[in-house]
Amino acid sequence: MLRFWPIWVLLLGGLFYWGLQRPDKSELKSVLVGKPAPSFSLPLLAPYRAQYGAEMGIREGLGKPVLLNIWASWCIPCRSEAPLLERFHQQYKDQVLILGVNVQDSEAEALKFVQEYGLTFPSVYDARGRIGIEYGYYGVPETFVIDRHGVVLARHAGELSEAQLRGYIEQVLR
Amino acid sequence: MRMKRAITWWVGGLLLLAWALAQPSPNTPPPDFSPEVFRIAGQLRCPVCQGESAAESNAGIAVEMRRIIAEQLAQGKSEAEIRAFFVERYGDWILYEPPARGLTLWVWLSPLLGLGLLGFGLWRYLARVRARALTAASEVSEEEMARLEAELQSPERQP
Repeated sequence: MLRFWPIWVLLLGGLFYWGLQRPDKSELKSVLVGKPAPSFSLPLLAPYRAQYGAEMGIREGLGKPVLLNIWASWCIPCRSEAPLLERFHQQYKDQVLILGVNVQDSEAEALKFVQEYGLTFPSVYDARGRIGIEYGYYGVPETFVIDRHGVVLARHAGELSEAQLRGYIEQVLR
Repeated sequence: MRMKRAITWWVGGLLLLAWALAQPSPNTPPPDFSPEVFRIAGQLRCPVCQGESAAESNAGIAVEMRRIIAEQLAQGKSEAEIRAFFVERYGDWILYEPPARGLTLWVWLSPLLGLGLLGFGLWRYLARVRARALTAASEVSEEEMARLEAELQSPERQP
């Protein structure tokens, strides 16, 4: 057996190399990709009710691609993501709906966050976190890219960079 | 007197032990849900935690998962159906004991495979050692054997 040591070294080395090349193990593929996005309707945070009504969510007949962004006011990456989302909302609001879902949070803190960053894209408040479970989320921020037919195209776990966000928007507008 | 003191110590020690055993274990479920809910939740990961089950965690999502389990139990759903509900949303990742198929099958098989390989290696090694011992015995020349036999004879018998 030991006569073949170069083969063993190669095998073991290959295994290590393969392990290193694998995508981030903490990144979880969503089982929702390619499936219809679960529909829901949740109360909007107060500042958006005048424009969008009392409740909002994913339902049939939205006719627009959606970026569903799950966030919380205590989440640090959400803080750097919020201005970026706002900027893209200003630019694409006629073509893409950016919808925030506030989870694991208190409504008062969420409102403070919205005010601090001057967010004009609508956010709903999920007090119990049930929508998070429906979508299989495992942390904030997390963004689901939903095409205009209501099918989930991608799930992005963690902070979005500008390039990534632009990529997703181009993907849904194609 | 000494006897009495020893007995006091023994009784004291036993009491202390009984008291320690009587403490509720730290993982007993809070009384809001039935133990059945916690038993099922214990098989599921808390998605936002590291290495905690949905039964142990107090994160909002884990509490909500327990609530969902309790609701579905009340609706008469079976344990398998409840597990399937979470697998549908999270994939097999949510299960602490993933089903033995595909890549996870290897996780189950590799210890057996390892044991088998170890056994095979050991068997090969022992066979080689035995073979070496046998050849070593047969390689001794007649002359040397005779000399050894002679040397093993007790000195009294020697002329």
